[in-house]
Amino acid sequence: MPSIAGNRSSPMSIAGSDVSSPQKRRLRSNSALLDDLVSSIPSNPCSPLKNKSPRRCMADSPNRSQANVSFLDRVNNVTKMTKSPKKKLLDSFLDKPIWNPTDLEQLSAVKEALHVSTSPSMIVCREDEQKRIAEFCKQCLEQEKAGSLYICGCPGTGKSLSMENVKGSLAVWAKETGGQLPEILTISCPSLSSTSEIFNKILGKSQPQKKLNGRSTPLKQLQQLYSKKQQSPGMKMMLVIADELDYLITKDRVVLHDLFMLTTLPFSKVILIGIANAIDLADRFLPKLQSLNCKPMVVSFRAYSMEQIIIILKQRLMALPYAVFQPQALELNARKVAAASGDMRKALGICRGAIEMLETELRESACTSNLSAMVRVDHMAIALSRAYKSPIVDTIQSLPQHQQIILCSAVKLFRRGKKDTTIGELNKSYIDVCKSTLIPPVGIMELSCMCRVLGDQGILKLGQSRDDKLRRVTLQVDEADILFALQGIRFFRNCLQ
Amino acid sequence: MGRRTAEEAQVLLRRRLCDPNFIFSVFSDSPDSNYSKLKFIVSSSVTEACNNSMLLLGPRGCGKIAVLDLVLEDLLKEYPEMISVIKLNGLLHCDDNCAVKEIARQLCIEHELMFSKMASYDDNSQFMIAMLRECGLAHKTVVFILDEFDLFAQGKQRLLYSLLDAMQSVSSQAVVIGVSCRLDADQLLEKRVRSRFSHRKLLFLPPPKDDLQRLLKHILLLPTDSSLPHDYVTEFNSRISNILADKRFIEVTDKLSDSDSTFSNFLRFLFSAVSYIDLRSGFMTLDNFKSALSTIQRQPKLDCLKDCSILELYMMVCMKRLEVKEQGSYNFNSVMKEYKSIHDSFQTSDNYSRTVCIRAFEHLLDRQLIEFADRGHNQSIEFRSVKLLISSSELHQGLKSNRSCPVSYLGFGSSNSSKTNGILKDTKYVVVETKSVQHYED
Repeated sequence: MPSIAGNRSSPMSIAGSDVSSPQKRRLRSNSALLDDLVSSIPSNPCSPLKNKSPRRCMADSPNRSQANVSFLDRVNNVTKMTKSPKKKLLDSFLDKPIWNPTDLEQLSAVKEALHVSTSPSMIVCREDEQKRIAEFCKQCLEQEKAGSLYICGCPGTGKSLSMENVKGSLAVWAKETGGQLPEILTISCPSLSSTSEIFNKILGKSQPQKKLNGRSTPLKQLQQLYSKKQQSPGMKMMLVIADELDYLITKDRVVLHDLFMLTTLPFSKVILIGIANAIDLADRFLPKLQSLNCKPMVVSFRAYSMEQIIIILKQRLMALPYAVFQPQALELNARKVAAASGDMRKALGICRGAIEMLETELRESACTSNLSAMVRVDHMAIALSRAYKSPIVDTIQSLPQHQQIILCSAVKLFRRGKKDTTIGELNKSYIDVCKSTLIPPVGIMELSCMCRVLGDQGILKLGQSRDDKLRRVTLQVDEADILFALQGIRFFRNCLQ
Repeated sequence: MGRRTAEEAQVLLRRRLCDPNFIFSVFSDSPDSNYSKLKFIVSSSVTEACNNSMLLLGPRGCGKIAVLDLVLEDLLKEYPEMISVIKLNGLLHCDDNCAVKEIARQLCIEHELMFSKMASYDDNSQFMIAMLRECGLAHKTVVFILDEFDLFAQGKQRLLYSLLDAMQSVSSQAVVIGVSCRLDADQLLEKRVRSRFSHRKLLFLPPPKDDLQRLLKHILLLPTDSSLPHDYVTEFNSRISNILADKRFIEVTDKLSDSDSTFSNFLRFLFSAVSYIDLRSGFMTLDNFKSALSTIQRQPKLDCLKDCSILELYMMVCMKRLEVKEQGSYNFNSVMKEYKSIHDSFQTSDNYSRTVCIRAFEHLLDRQLIEFADRGHNQSIEFRSVKLLISSSELHQGLKSNRSCPVSYLGFGSSNSSKTNGILKDTKYVVVETKSVQHYED
């Protein structure tokens, strides 16, 4: 489990090696964010456009404390000479007023801005990928050729969101250049009741007026349709977006193959875009396409890095007229999530969790005057630990005594090398442990009842057997977790030495 | 007159014990409790019209569903038209088709629409998505309760995916609450589903000791403003307070919670204790609690031992002695030898013939107090090795509780055959052990 960065890590340590690269990245990207920032910065010797290293900026202005400047420069791109560093930390990074968390309207606005279902006005950090997808679609549409594209990436990396954006940009492009707008069909594969139903949907969209021919399957009809030249030349191209493509994988992989083969037929009008998580889906499940030289183009969405997460969070909060989070809190969140999975949904969820921490803190303390109303690093740290904590240690500590003794005897038994045992053996070990403390052991029926309760909770795993005594038992929990949980009780400490 | 008030009091107490609202309302006042946390999360989702998902985890019998029901009841009173509740159970609706059909049926009942049993999976899921959108427009939150959540996480998890995916759009307002006893329920989810599921988890744990004391006082003390006569109530309450402070009562509750400390076990214990109230006196005593404990912690082998005949007990003691003498395997003949040796050295009055002993041996086999240690069917019963299926402490307790056990035991269970008192008395309840010697002399 990745460890949380310390709460009180000084900004000096945060401003580590990559001090100049985030600035460079921001310069390259064409986001409106940067334009806004650049236009609002008053000219000062440390302007990022000059690409000077912030260390030189520190030497220029002796008033400011070193640590704050380097950190704020790197992250915020704004410097104002007049304010003292302490006030700087409390103020917003773009000099916005601090929000009032007791105002319900502001609270709900902030929560809505951070909700997963709110799609932002601008999608940042995915410009390259979106450009590639849009180029591919435009190329296919201009040449009126069929093609296939495969989008892969971990969950929460913005694949479906980018696709929506590309659809919109295609519409704009079609209007501008006067080209034809394709028919767009979006299919969510988990919602199909059977895998071959995807062909029904494609057929239905491409020929809505024709009644479904009952004699041949939709797949055959589509294949027939695309193998001969159209009589009427007005047939439009169709853009098929298949979300969560791996739900179509069956044992014989026929459906997936046929779907991609539709794009290889001579007169096909289908542009197929498949979205899934596995990077090598095309290689593993569609080997035949390689031989036909029509492997789909692969666009992979990498997991978000720390800087990207910070940019995205800030962009969401940009629309609000007040400042909500302290920048260190956002950085802590981004760092932890990027190290764990790079999943944007998780980062947004943790931000909302931190706001709830602030709310509870304000509710508990009656006077709200002295408290800083921004979400601080400690709120974020609590929200992070809640997100990544497993409830195992707490549960083991609150188990009744005999169940704890059972876990202890299981650990002792498995130390000798075997990884699973029977209830009869566990009983013997349990009786031995009980004898050493003069606690009267319970009988074997009660023991197997307790083992069943522990198995229900997922701490042990029990096998099946006709005879109760011969059921196999394995530990599902790490031995280190059990040791950590029981270390407070002296008897277990001695026993598990 | 006294009997009727006692009965009334008993009925009142039993009714309290069967009402989960009454029991869990004790813990609902503190802001740190699971009740208030759950209520805060659900009510904030309702008032702010946003989607949310969470997991309630904890061992069985710790009150997850009870607290959830309490929270929903309170919220339905506060926001009458803004919540509709859909309940699914992993044991009943584990199949996706079944689950979606059940969701559609419950939605139809809530909104008074006609439900068609012929609708297919597609129709039902389209209906569900359309209803979610409609409810979102009408600012009504749909709360999905998924009981036995870990069973929904088997297979391809389509239902979970489609529910959570529907919640990712702005137009729907839903809260998904999963209830499970597996602590690693969120690790069972596929990564797509896990990414869409928020990380909120509420842990329900068995109560610590002082919470149990509070609960006892809350349940067992009769209310002063009920229809029962005032002096009876005060007398009853003062006796209860005395019992609760008694050290022996604390031993009883400790013994109960050492093996199973969940709420449901504790309530069962209290119900049993209340049912043992002697209706003539009308008050609860410590013995009520002790007999309730023994009904809950039953030992079937002990009950069996209580009814054994003397010869059968004799044979088991012989086998125990052979075990103590480190003789790993023994059969009927060696047991007979031991029996004879005891008879010779101590001149007991019980001396039965071999055939009677074989009959007793077969009885023991039938009762499953002993069993054959090998699998050979060719040999006769006298030569096959046997082993005892009860431990020495169980045997010891069984001998103590057997009413007609006239023999005293020699070097029984501990390694001190020299320290035996070879006292053979025709007594009831004679137990000789090295440390604690209790002789009931005739």
